[in-house]
Amino acid sequence: MDKPELFKDGKRIDGRTPKELRPLKIEAGVLEEASGSAYVEWGGNKVVAGVYGPRECIPKHGADPYKALLKVRYTMAPFCSKSEHGRSGPNRRSREISKVLREAFEPVVMLNQFPKTQIDVYVEVLQAEGGTRVSALTAAAVALADAGIPMKEMVSGVAVGKLDGQLVVDLGKDEDNYGESDVPMAITSKGKELVLLQMDGLLTREELARNLDEGIEACEKVYELQAQALRKSYESAHERGKLRL
Amino acid sequence: MEKIVMPGELLWEEETRVPNTYVEGGRTYATVLGMMRNDKFVPLEMVYAAKPGDNTVGIVTDVRHSGYIVDMNLAQNGFISSKFTRVSFKQGDLIYGRVKFVDEVGNVDLTDAKRLPLGKIVSVPASKVPRIIGKRSSMLNVVRDGTGCSIFVGNNGYIWIGGKGNLQLALKTIQFIIRNAHTQGLTDAVVNYLNENGGNVSAPSRDEPGERSKPSHEDYGEGEPRPRGESSEGEREDTSVAHGGGKHTKDCFDQDCFQG
Repeated sequence: MDKPELFKDGKRIDGRTPKELRPLKIEAGVLEEASGSAYVEWGGNKVVAGVYGPRECIPKHGADPYKALLKVRYTMAPFCSKSEHGRSGPNRRSREISKVLREAFEPVVMLNQFPKTQIDVYVEVLQAEGGTRVSALTAAAVALADAGIPMKEMVSGVAVGKLDGQLVVDLGKDEDNYGESDVPMAITSKGKELVLLQMDGLLTREELARNLDEGIEACEKVYELQAQALRKSYESAHERGKLRL
Repeated sequence: MEKIVMPGELLWEEETRVPNTYVEGGRTYATVLGMMRNDKFVPLEMVYAAKPGDNTVGIVTDVRHSGYIVDMNLAQNGFISSKFTRVSFKQGDLIYGRVKFVDEVGNVDLTDAKRLPLGKIVSVPASKVPRIIGKRSSMLNVVRDGTGCSIFVGNNGYIWIGGKGNLQLALKTIQFIIRNAHTQGLTDAVVNYLNENGGNVSAPSRDEPGERSKPSHEDYGEGEPRPRGESSEGEREDTSVAHGGGKHTKDCFDQDCFQG
């Protein structure tokens, strides 16, 4: 497929302005059996996250006597996209994303409160349309809060980048594939600290700095929606707190 | 007056040592999803951490020479040392005990363990336990009276339900409490719910504030209230009477459950 025209007359390929996010819908507490869970629809992405624990560390010899282990597992469903992810289970790419997600949460989750245990975070991408790692991160943060795992602050992520010379926020699939640069990033809600930063493609230092500023603004919008989802799960008569028999 | 706060949200401008919060730079922030009500922080979701003095319900999962391993709805197991226990348990016994000591990795030592007769154990989120008990067990007594069941609530989130009452109604009522745990005027709502669903109970009389009414049930176990440094329940509800009332407990305990 030839490269489509990504930026034309101030509008992007899907009609958005450079700083506009795709429609983002977050729901907390969607799974019955998990301690905490969340479902995120971000543009064409559909991601569900479930959190279990703190629970007994398996294998036992891997347990840390000083803190809990955070185990993040990101996987893409075999039906999530056209052909690129035609097989299920962990692969090189999903192991990388699991690692960067874990490292994004390790500074905020208060792991030292639960020695010798593990906290499992499972993120499943049901449908992918560019920016799945930040969608997964957004879902996992809501699921962790829904599980009552103590966190110093929330984490919200967004992808920024450059296409046809224009700096943009929240790249979709075509923008990701044919753009000049893709920078997934995540910040914490209170301290605005960067906990995830990766870069694909080329940007000048000035462009990166401007892109990050725009990304931080976008992350704040994402955080608002995360907070709204968690509040809503208490304000509406929701199927919450199932009895485990 | 009520506000739902996110992890990391500012609660107070000064240092305040309250569970489920942390202090940074002289200010206090929330660590879990919670609610600010009348300048008090009520956690809506939290992970239970055992503290000495907590009443717990558990299941004996293993019998060792030195004692009993107890499933406590925690990452770590509880342990009853046979050195200090005259009662012997079998695998699968349901027990009600008090947390004696929690070591630095979270292993829990239990004391004053009693065997509970056959009944049902359900697990509820630990953050909802204060509402299930209510102020001075008010909610628990309503559920007991309305269903005729004997109910023991552990701070760990395990609830034992037994006796000859309406078990299904008791389970439904507890689920109702959990779903509406963050609302106000819950006891009245529960009374209505019980009456609508075949129970028969009247609303508890409100005591004069300040005057502590005599507990309507015998204190099962030791007489003195357990020491508590600070109340972990944001609602400041009395959890010290988490155990069952005398009315129903008398006939459901075997004599040999009592310790000498």
